[in-house]
Amino acid sequence: MNKRRYFLLLLVICLVVGSCSTTPPPLPEQDLNAADDENRLWQRAAAEQAIFESSGIIYRDPALEDYLHSIADKLQPLDVLKKYNFRIRLIRDPYLNAFAFPNGVIYLHTGILSRLDNEAQLAALLAHEMTHCTHRHALRAFSGLKNQNSLILSLKQAVARIASTGDLLELFGTTASMAAINGYAQHFETEADMVGLQLMAEAGYDPSEALRLFEHLRQELESENLKEPFFFATHPQLQKRIENSKGFLERMNPPETQGIKNKEKFLGRIHRVLFYNASLDLKAGRFRAALRGAEKYLTLRKDDPKAYFLVGEILRQRGEEEDDLRAKDFYEKAIALDPSYPDPHKAIGLIYFKEGDWVLAKRSFESSLALSPHMHDRAYIRGYLQECSKRGTGQ
Amino acid sequence: MKKLLCIIFLFMASCASLGQPGNPSQSASPSFTLEFPEEWRKVTTGKYLMITRDGAFAQYILVQQRHVDQPFNHTKKKIDKSMLPQEAAGVILDEITSDRTVLNFQVLENLPAAVNGYNGFRLVFTYKIKGGYKFKTLYYGFLQGDWLYSLRYNAADDRYSDKDLETFKEVLESFKIRAAQSA
Repeated sequence: MNKRRYFLLLLVICLVVGSCSTTPPPLPEQDLNAADDENRLWQRAAAEQAIFESSGIIYRDPALEDYLHSIADKLQPLDVLKKYNFRIRLIRDPYLNAFAFPNGVIYLHTGILSRLDNEAQLAALLAHEMTHCTHRHALRAFSGLKNQNSLILSLKQAVARIASTGDLLELFGTTASMAAINGYAQHFETEADMVGLQLMAEAGYDPSEALRLFEHLRQELESENLKEPFFFATHPQLQKRIENSKGFLERMNPPETQGIKNKEKFLGRIHRVLFYNASLDLKAGRFRAALRGAEKYLTLRKDDPKAYFLVGEILRQRGEEEDDLRAKDFYEKAIALDPSYPDPHKAIGLIYFKEGDWVLAKRSFESSLALSPHMHDRAYIRGYLQECSKRGTGQ
Repeated sequence: MKKLLCIIFLFMASCASLGQPGNPSQSASPSFTLEFPEEWRKVTTGKYLMITRDGAFAQYILVQQRHVDQPFNHTKKKIDKSMLPQEAAGVILDEITSDRTVLNFQVLENLPAAVNGYNGFRLVFTYKIKGGYKFKTLYYGFLQGDWLYSLRYNAADDRYSDKDLETFKEVLESFKIRAAQSA
C-alpha cells in the first residue's frame, strides 16, 4: 500500500474511532511525518470544502458572515488569527450542529445559530470550535491512531447511530464526517470546552452562557429522541460536560463586571436566519422547532405579515387539536398587516374547504387568485373553486 | 466473472439509491397491475416495481405504494388520508428537499392530475446528486384509502426523452389497483 493510500486509510479509521485514545497523544512534533500529514489533512479539508461551496447548501449572507467573523476575531490573539485565517460559514440545515475543519474553516448549521439566545452563546460555540483547530485535534487524533491500527470499525456503522446526520457522510468527505458526525475524542472535546470557556471569558463574554448552549443541545436531544448527540457523538455525555463546565466556572476568578451577552444585537443580526430556518424546520416536519423559531422571529419583527403566515402554516400543517382555529388567527393577522398578500387568503380557503364551508372557501380562494392571478398553484385553486361552486349549489 | 459481478453490483446500487430521491415503498405486496413494453426490463424487490430499458442510472419507471402510516426518511411529516392532492404533493416535495443528498432541487411543475381516473397530482422536478449528475423526474401520485400510490419516470437529464415519456404514458393508462386494496 503506498503512503498516500495508507494515510487515507488511517484517516478514515481515525474519523470513525476518534475516541479510541484515552490519554492525550504526543504532539505531532514527535512524528517525523507530522508536517506532511498536516499538509495532506489541510488539502483534504480544502477539497471537501469545495464540495460544500458548490453544493447549494451554503447560506449566504455577507453582512451576517462579517458579524460572525467579528466575534471570532475577539476570541483569539492576533498571531493565532493570522495563522488560521478563521472563516465561518453557514449551512442550510435545521439540525443543531457545528464543526471545524483543521484549516480553520468552521461550519455552523442555521439550526444551531437560530437556537442561540445571545452573542455570548455564539462566542462559546465559536471558541469551542476554534480550539479544535488551534489545538490541532484532527492531526492529534490521526497521530494517536497510528499506534492503534487494530481498531478498524465500519464507518457506516458508526454513522448509522445518528439518524439525523447520516446523509452527510454520503454527501461529504471523511474530514467533514469526522468533525460533523463523530466529533473528536472525549479529551479533545473536554479541552475544547475548557479552553473555549477561558477564551470567551477573556474576551469579556459571560462564560455562564456556555451552559445555556448545552441546555439547547439537551432540548434538541430530547425532542429528537436521540441517545447520541450529532454534534457531540463521541463527546463526553452532555451531563458530564455540563458538570465539568460548571466546575471550571466555579474555579475561574469572578469577573469584576458582568460579562457581555449582547442579546438584542445578536438577534437583530440573525433575524433572517431565524425565519429561514423555521421554514426548513417546517419542511422537515419539526413542528415544535419551527414554531419556536417563527415565534422568536415574531418577537423581533412584529409587523412582518410573512411571519404570521409562517406560524399559520406551521399550525395548519401540524394539524393538532385547535391548530386550524389558531392558524386562521395568524392568517387574519397577516392579511390585516398586508391585505394584498395572497398566500394567507389561500391558506384560509384550504381550511374552510376541508371544513366544508364552501362559501367562505370560495371567497378566500377568489381573493387569493384576484391578488395573484399567476400564483404557482393556480391550477389547484381553480379546481377548488369549481368544487366549491358545485358543492355550494348542491350539484 | 469479476467484471460481471461488478456490473450487477453497480446496477443494484444505482437502483437502490442513485438518482432516486426518496426511498422505495415498504408495501410488502404490490396490489396493482400495469403493462409495459417488452424492451423494458423489470426489476422488482417485492417492495416496489421498477422497470428500465438501459439501466436505472440512465432511466427508470418506478411504481410504489406506501401505507399512509409509513414514516418518511427525511421529513417527519406524515401523509394523512384526508389530505388534498396538493397537500400530499407538498409532503412529497418536503421529503425530497429535506434529503441532504439531493442538491440543486428545482420544481418545474406542480399540478392537479389524474392517473387512470384517480385524482392526484403531477410533479416535474430536477435535481443533482454528489458528483454533479443531474436528473429529471415526472412524478404522479394519488391517495386511495390508506395508500399513497406513486408512479414516476426518472432519467438522467440528457436521457429524458419523448419516447420514454410515451412509454410512461402507457404505464399510467394501464395502471389499475386490485379490488381488495382499492377501498
